[in-house]
Amino acid sequence: MTDRNVFVYIETADGESVKVGPEMLAPAREAAGGGKVTAVIIDAQSDQAAEKALIYGADAVITAACEAAPPENTVGILTAMAEKYGPDIIMIGSTPAGRETAPRLAARIGAGCVTDVNALDITDEGIVWTTPLFGGTILENVGISTDVQVVTIRSGAFKCGEAGDPSGEIIPEEIIMQDGDVKTKIIDSVVEISEQVNLEDAEIIVTGGKGMGTEEDFQKIQELADVLGATVGATRPVIEAGWTSRAHQVGQSGKIVSPKLYIAFGVSGATQHITGMIGSDYIVAVNKDEDAPIFDVADIGIVGDAKKVLPIFIEECRKLKGI
Amino acid sequence: MKIMVCIKQVPDDSVKIELDESTGKPSVEGVEPIVNAFDTYALEMAARFLETGIEGEITTITMGDENSKSSIKNCLAVGASHGYVLHDDLFEGSDAQGTAYALGCAVRKIARDEGGDFDIVFCGIETSDETSGQTGPMLAESLGYSLVTNVIALEKKDGVLHVKQETEDGYNIVETPMPCVLTAARPNYDPRYPTIKSKMAARKMPIGELSAADIGARSDKTGESASLVKTIELAAPPKRKAGIKINEEDIEEASLKAFSIMTDANVL
Ligand SMILES: Cc1cc2nc3c(=O)[nH]c(=O)nc-3n(C[C@H](O)[C@H](O)[C@H](O)COP(=O)(O)OP(=O)(O)OC[C@H]3O[C@@H](n4cnc5c(N)ncnc54)[C@H](O)[C@@H]3O)c2cc1C
Repeated sequence: MTDRNVFVYIETADGESVKVGPEMLAPAREAAGGGKVTAVIIDAQSDQAAEKALIYGADAVITAACEAAPPENTVGILTAMAEKYGPDIIMIGSTPAGRETAPRLAARIGAGCVTDVNALDITDEGIVWTTPLFGGTILENVGISTDVQVVTIRSGAFKCGEAGDPSGEIIPEEIIMQDGDVKTKIIDSVVEISEQVNLEDAEIIVTGGKGMGTEEDFQKIQELADVLGATVGATRPVIEAGWTSRAHQVGQSGKIVSPKLYIAFGVSGATQHITGMIGSDYIVAVNKDEDAPIFDVADIGIVGDAKKVLPIFIEECRKLKGI
Repeated sequence: MKIMVCIKQVPDDSVKIELDESTGKPSVEGVEPIVNAFDTYALEMAARFLETGIEGEITTITMGDENSKSSIKNCLAVGASHGYVLHDDLFEGSDAQGTAYALGCAVRKIARDEGGDFDIVFCGIETSDETSGQTGPMLAESLGYSLVTNVIALEKKDGVLHVKQETEDGYNIVETPMPCVLTAARPNYDPRYPTIKSKMAARKMPIGELSAADIGARSDKTGESASLVKTIELAAPPKRKAGIKINEEDIEEASLKAFSIMTDANVL
């Protein structure tokens, strides 16, 4: 078994690690063998995220105090740290920022890069990384031939390990920015979506697709979600029709979700949607087209009018929950 | 303003591509080739940007085989003025870094030939086949340009480029120097369709062909042997166990039946 030193860059938002951050520590430990797993946090407020990293299995945490770290800064800082510490693997979360950071970092340090890893296998020849092609209908197993390997890890692909004691060293690092590292400037940041939608941690998701027909009918999805304590999901056409906000989008360009139960009303099951919800434990689909591809992944499929099934489900759930 | 839009020809993204067990390759046989959706968004955004009264031209390029010419033709019919296909056996088996390197060489070469650097090099954020999203960021590194990802609109203000970048909860306005690399997300409109007239015109436009030698690409930087990421095998994802399909006349009965299976399975 080869020992490898693994860097896990944990992205933060408002001082807290993003969901995939601690999740990565499990595959990092696996890849490390007897090597060291070091979390890297770039944030002016890193205490919370650092403690969480130690709880979920990091051996040490390197912190770099830096106000807001847009990918440009991150790339520069991670490059400097990779040069200083010489990790064998650098893991980054597959967030929008992570997907920008990883390839740039890899290009700068001459490393091979694999994005959206959702499984790994440690073999005698090296690590085999699994990444989806065509939105997940095919899986590609790849190896990286360079000394340093850069990978991004898909949110939800790995479960957080057991929580332990937060023991381990925290190493504050000076930030050395190279001249010209930062070329772009955010001159305005506008929040359009104020609601908090946490699809990634939801245990139950009820999704409405374009087949709900009208905005009014789509709103009834919320009613079922409320009874079930579920989160509302949506397909892209629903968002484009303005029935709900982008925060609800499930799929390739939305959220990758893995609830215990996923109920889809009037969703056709395009690969770009399936890729986002295929990790659900139990899938129920209602579609009036008996050949709709969503049925290929459903544990229960109801062929019929979603608008008729929805009120029956609401009613039955009310009875079940006693509300 | 000179804009380069990098496109890739991919199999129709509305067709489900699976693993062909007999060949071990994706089942793309007979699937219509199209321009990758995010690349069409990049082209449309570039076209709309110039239509705001900015003088300039759009060039498109793709790295691909002979067949990719048809995709370049399609781009010429919806806003691009020049088109190039980058083709060489050497490029075969390139990983994202090899592709970005070759595209970078080509961008520089075309700029020299057409007399002047590109101000903007625009890519889609990812392709529907590889879905890895590495080419744009790596191209920025290869060219040494600044980068803004997830772009949904561009605007020029007082001579400076302002880019609208989609974020989780809204958008940023990012000021970037030029030249720059941008990657396109989905704007809230569909790209234009070609007209019969624009199609006819595109058919007559020349498409440049560039080889590795033409762009001065080095064999230790691109192609299979230079690839840092090697495919070991393709695999089919684990099959979900077959579900129950309820197809009954009486929708209430069907719903109740489904509901009772759900409660039995303890998922509610
Ligand atoms: C680059 C790219 C990225 C994309 N990213 C995403 C993404 O992240 N998420 C996403 O969802 N999509 C995404 N899409 C879009 C995707 O390809 C599909 O168009 C979309 O998922 C379809 O949404 P839908 O199922 O709601 O609508 P449709 O495909 O229009 O399907 C509606 C379904 O409802 C059924 N129906 C109609 N009326 C009823 C009724 N009364 N009762 C029951 N069933 C009914 C129909 O039979 C049909 O199957 C992306 C596309 C591209 C090109």
